[in-house]
Order: sequence, then structure tokens, then C-alpha cells
Amino acid sequence: MAILKTENLSKSFGALAAVKDVSLGIEAGSLHSIIGPNGAGKTTLFNLLTGTFPPTSGRIIFDQKDITGTPAHRIAHLGLARSYQRTSVFPAFSLFDNVWVAAFACGSSWKGFLWKRTDGYPEATERARQALSDVGLEKKSHQLAREISHGEQRQLELAIALAAAPRVLLLDEPAAGLSPEETRNMVALVRGLKGRYTIVLIEHKIDIIMSVSDRISVMHFGSLIAEGSPEEIQRNPEVRRAYLGGIAA
Amino acid sequence: MKKETIVLLVSIIALPFVVRPAIATEIWIFAIFGLGLNLLLGYTGLLSFGQSTFFGSAAYVAGWLLKHYGINVFFALGIGVGVGALSALLVGYLCVQRSGLYFIMLTFALNQLFYFIAYQWTTVTGGEDGMPGIPRPLFFGFDFRNPMLYYAFVSVLFLLSLWLMKRIVESPLGRILRAIRENEVRAEAVGYHVPRFKLLAFVIGGAFSGLAGVLYAMLFGIVPLEAISFVFSGNVVFATLIGGSGSLYGPIIGSFVFIWLSESMSVMWARWPLLLGVAFVIVVLFFRGGVVEAWSRLGEKVRLWRSSRQKT
Amino acid sequence: MNLLLGQILNGIATGMLYALMGLGLSLITGVLNIPNFAHGALFAVGAYLLVSSANLVGNFWVALLVAPLGVALLGLIIEYAGVRRLYAAGHDYQLLFTFGLALILNELIIVIWGPVGISHLPPAILRGGVDLGFTFYPKYRLFVMGMAGLLVLATWLFLEKTRYGAIMRAGIENKEMVSLLGIDIHRLFTVAFGIGAFLAGIAGALTAPIRGLSPGMGVDMLGIAFVVVALGGLGNLLGAIAAGLLIGIAQAVVAAYWTEASTAVIFAVMALVLLIRPQGMFGIR
Repeated sequence: MAILKTENLSKSFGALAAVKDVSLGIEAGSLHSIIGPNGAGKTTLFNLLTGTFPPTSGRIIFDQKDITGTPAHRIAHLGLARSYQRTSVFPAFSLFDNVWVAAFACGSSWKGFLWKRTDGYPEATERARQALSDVGLEKKSHQLAREISHGEQRQLELAIALAAAPRVLLLDEPAAGLSPEETRNMVALVRGLKGRYTIVLIEHKIDIIMSVSDRISVMHFGSLIAEGSPEEIQRNPEVRRAYLGGIAA
Repeated sequence: MKKETIVLLVSIIALPFVVRPAIATEIWIFAIFGLGLNLLLGYTGLLSFGQSTFFGSAAYVAGWLLKHYGINVFFALGIGVGVGALSALLVGYLCVQRSGLYFIMLTFALNQLFYFIAYQWTTVTGGEDGMPGIPRPLFFGFDFRNPMLYYAFVSVLFLLSLWLMKRIVESPLGRILRAIRENEVRAEAVGYHVPRFKLLAFVIGGAFSGLAGVLYAMLFGIVPLEAISFVFSGNVVFATLIGGSGSLYGPIIGSFVFIWLSESMSVMWARWPLLLGVAFVIVVLFFRGGVVEAWSRLGEKVRLWRSSRQKT
Repeated sequence: MNLLLGQILNGIATGMLYALMGLGLSLITGVLNIPNFAHGALFAVGAYLLVSSANLVGNFWVALLVAPLGVALLGLIIEYAGVRRLYAAGHDYQLLFTFGLALILNELIIVIWGPVGISHLPPAILRGGVDLGFTFYPKYRLFVMGMAGLLVLATWLFLEKTRYGAIMRAGIENKEMVSLLGIDIHRLFTVAFGIGAFLAGIAGALTAPIRGLSPGMGVDMLGIAFVVVALGGLGNLLGAIAAGLLIGIAQAVVAAYWTEASTAVIFAVMALVLLIRPQGMFGIR
């Protein structure tokens, strides 16, 4: 059962068609990767899914409900959480506060948010703690986000998405800028999340894609040019063509 | 934490013996005004350059009711807070929908709108002459015409305001506002309707400004046109930045510095705004992080010096 | 009806001056990312410099050249000695600096020229009126319209047709990119401030014979300049003209029927437009 679907989703910026007629379905509980050369429209697709801007045409269906045009601040409440390609955290906050803010937003109740103390929300506190623990940062929860290393910030980036306790995780290049060892850690992390969440993953590093994905969709110049299992994609000649001159495997 | 409270209480008790009670009262009133602004500036990262809109509007409305309808003190305070919050809601609604630079310019421009209305509506506001004759009514038998009693009253209200602001900044709202300041895009992405939260901060700031406005009207017995002018808006920004927008207590220090500066200058020369402008410029050029930060930097240096001495 | 048409013409004249103010402010604010709170004071200084140099030299035209240049020089000094030094401290402090400067300049005007309003006649050649059929219209105001139009055109030519103008437009859009391209970003700031100050100065100089001078003229104009930018958009030349004309004409028309409200109307119009279109007349948030 496709938990997240797009139907003929398109987005143009003036004359530039960034996403063209993309229809894809993400099965619940699967890890579905989206790959393609730079400029293929992957991040724009994510932006459409998270309501950063509305599509020019087409629909987005989440859990059988049409969520097209839902504004960005409501998306997290629906159960979709996203991590960003360029680290986007709250630099002056501690790691704990970073995830707490995300956990509180999607918490069951905001009652008393004007006068109660922040530690008076056990649900948010627990989810925040869990999110940091899931990514292995719980020992540093009191450090400031701007003080930790880039690799740790990428982990924090993921933790913020997890803190919302979403059903679907949209991960935009979680391994961006990571060293080989950090990348291995990140892959293990993502693999560990499989099954607990439905994951849509954008990545450039082919070995990661091949090792974790259940299904892969390939984008090129805004359109979907191929979709299938990792083996099918590896054998697909169109995909090879798209990648010639693009990202090498 | 405790240390700050002690210092605060001591200064409250000692102040009216160091300066005239009226000046001392003005300092705490201005501190309340600054607390309101700092929720916007320090915590949410919104530089509102039109806070006097709410201060002045509250002062005029409450002043009018005090003068012509003899309302009691409670009602006056309530009106002040209400008018401050309502005017902030109206102004804020237009302003929060635009970003950074436009926001600043709009708060200023809307301030000018209110200023010109106050300037022209002489039958009600008195225009350039201001609205004189504002009484200080009796409060449970306390005659607030006694400056020390009124000072005590204002100090208590100040402490209350400080406590309230402390609760707010330590609440989830405080953290959400800071998140908006840190990374507005991500704050929205994790599920907060940013303009609505900005508007909330605006309204709370307006409420504090309104309270300060009523107390000001009752302090001086008059609402001068300046109370709704851009200079007044600029003064509270200056005071807050100088005190240090990063801390809850910054506006208090800023209030001390500013009131001291403006009071000493106003007796020197009729053209004292020039001196004030010069003071702004000097302070801005040389004391950038604000007094609180300069103080902590000094503290840091002292600590380093001490620890290096211990090593030898 | 004739009264109305005459007022509309007045509105166009003042509207063009508002557009000039908005344009100058737009350049400074767009490039430096700070609302220049001293912009109104620069306008006032331009007016007062015109009167003083005209009285000194006995020639309006020389004064019309000297005054804006003087203000431009003042602008360059402000940028170099103050704004630039605060670059590292952040926008809030640069803003506060311009605010403090506004206080200083406004008070200096009173110190030097006194608190009473001054009036100044247009040069002999531009006195009197022209018969336009429906009304006898002051020559000077027609001159102002033409002059302002020329200045706007010159600014447009600079921005659109010269290389440095393109750099400036790019700087308004994306400062980082411009400095990455190896362009001296600090020089860009200084030039932008200089041009913006020049435009404020000449707007002030042109205003002097129309409305007379008063020490408060700077403050009043600052708010109006902000309105023009808020409605027209940063760096948007056409926006500045459209917004300037809109509020100029609105103010003039209202002044015919309800003089007291005429200045407040400018801000009321702004509030109304923003209620309908929060992103301003031309859609830039």
C-alpha cells in the first residue's frame, strides 16, 4: 500500500520546468531512493512534498488523503519529516533543545505553552532524548549545535527529523560532506531506521543507494526516467546514459 | 540567578534615595518598556522600530479615561495593557508578513501613522502640547500622589512584569521564538506557523509597552506627543541593545544607562537630543555587544588573569 | 474640478520627489541591507544647504548643484567613518548608527539655521505660472516634475545601462555572489550610499521653494521614504515611481478637502495597500 504518492506532479519556475509530470508511489515501510544527476529536480521534489512551495500542477496523496498545497508548517503534523542537504539546525541551541523544538511541535498537546516550563512536557522530553539516542548523540545533548563537528551536525540533522515521530522520513543527502567512515556510520544509522519508518532517500553515493534501497526512482531533467529494484536500475541503459558525465558510480 | 535577584532588590530599595523618586520610577517604567521590546528583538530576532505606537496609544487612551472618567487604577492598568496589545495586533498583523528590512521599515512607518493622528487630533490628544492633567487616583487608600508610594507601586509592577517575562521566555513559547530567530525556515518546517508566532510575540511586547505607557502617563501627569514618536521608539531600541539584547536583564541595565544619559543631558542644553545622538553614536561604535556583554567579556579577562596568576 | 486637477498636478510633483527619496533609500537599503534612518535628515540638509548656498552665491542653479553634492559628500563620510566600521557588528548596530546620526543632523540644523521655518523663493526665471487651460499652474512645480523625471531617468540609465549599475543591481539581489566575483563590496556600499545621499539631497533642494523649510522636514520625509520602499520594493525603480505617485496624489487630493489628514493619509494608504497585498504593490516580500 503506497503511503505516499504523487500524481503527475509538476513544478515550473517561469520557463524552467524543474519537476515534470512525476508520478511515483512509496510503499509503507520501504526505503525508496531517488537518484539522478545534479539539477535533476530531486530537491525540488522534496520541497513540493514538504509544502515549501505549491506545485504548478499535479497532486500529492499521503495516506490516501490529498495533501496538495498543504503549507510547510502543517506538513510535520501530518507525519512527514525532512532532513536537509545543507545542514539546517538551530546553531545557538543545545543538541537537546534542537530536537526538543521538533518534538514539541508534533506533540499531542501544546497546553500551557505560554507559561509552563519546557521541562514540563514529558512526551516531548522523551521523544527528544530518544531521537538523540537513535543517532548516537545522547552523550553530547548539552553541547551547542554550532560547536559539534560537521559529521555530528549531519546526525543532528537526522535527529531533528526523527524527533517529530513521523511516519515518513524524507532524507536529502544525509551523507553529504561526510568522510568515508562517517558515511559508513550514517548508512548503518539509516539501515537501522528501516522498517520503523517509511524512508524516501536522496543520495548521490551509489554504493549507499544500492546497499539500503528497496526501490529506486531515477530522475533526469525533472522527469522520472526509470524505476525499479536496485538490480533492475543497475542494468538499465537509460540510467547509464543519464549518468555519463554526471555522478560516477 | 539568586545573585541577580539580590542585586535587583537592593537597587529597587536604594534607588529612590540616590536619584529623585520620579526619575527612579521612570527607570523601572522604561525597563518594563524594554522587556516588551526585548521579547521581539532579543528572543525572536525582530527589530521593531515602532514600539512607541503601543506605549503612546495606551498612554493616551488610559490617560483620557483617567482624566475625564475618573477610572480607578486597576482599570487604567487593564486599559493600558489591552490597548497596547490591541494596537500591536493591528500593527503586527501588517508587519509580520514581511521579512527583515521591510518589517523594520513598516514598524517605523506605522508608528508615523499613529504619530500623525495624535499630532492632528488636537481635541483629544492635545497635539504638540500633549494631554495634561492626568491624575493618580487612590489605590486601596494609598495616595499615589506621594512619589515614594507611587514608586513602590511601579517597582512592584516591574517585578511582576519581570517575573512574567521570565516565565514566558522559559516556556515553550520562548524556545519557539528563539528557534525562529535561529532558523526561521527550519522552525516552520518542524511545524510552527512562523507569522502567527511572530504576531504573538508582537502582541505580548505590545502589552508590556502599554503597561509602561499608562504608568508613564500617571507618573508625569501628562502624555507628551513624544511618547508616540519615532524618537521614543529609537530610545528603547538603543537602551535594549546597550543593555544587551541577549539576556533577560539587559533592558534593565539599558534603562538605567539611557535614563541617566537623557536626564543628565536634558538639563545641559535645550538641544540635548543632539547630545543623545552623539551618545548613541559613541556607544554604538565602541560598546557594541552591549553593557552585559562588555561586562562578561571583562569578567572573562579577569578570570583568565586570575587563573594565569594561580599557575605561577 | 479645476481644483482637483490642480491638486493632482501637485500630487505628481510631490510624488516624483517622494519617488526620488524612495529610490535613494532603496539603493542604500538594498545594497547595504540596513534601513537608512538618516535618509530624511539628508533630505533636510539638502534643502538647508540649497538655501544657504543660494543666499551666499546669489544663484539658484549653482546652489542646486552644490547642495546635493554636499549631501553626497556627507553620505560618503557617514558610510566610510561609521557604517563601514560597524560592518562586523551587524545590521542592528549600523541601523542604530544611522538613527543616532539622524538625531544629530536634525538638531544641528536647528543649531545652525534656527528652529523657525524658512521660506525660499524659486529663481526668477521659474516664478509665476503657466496657463494650462484649466488652471494657472506654478512654473516651478512643472520644473520640479521635469527635473525629478530626469533624475529618475538618469538613475535608470545608470542601473540598467552601465556596468557598475549592473553590479549594484546584482548587489541588491545577492551580495555574497557579488563579492565572490571579486568585486570590492565595500566600494559598492560607499557608492550606493553616495548616490542615495545625492538623490535625497537633490530632492531636498528641489523641495525648498515649494514647501519651505522646517527642522522637522527630515523626520516627516523619512517615514514617507519608508512607505515608498515598503510599497514599491527594494531596488525596484518602477515601484518607487508608482508608489511615490500614488501617495503623492492621494496626499494632494485629500489636502484639498481635509488638510489636517493629508500626511496621515500617506500612511493610511500604505496600510490599506498592504492589507490587500501584503507583499507590496509589486510582490516582493
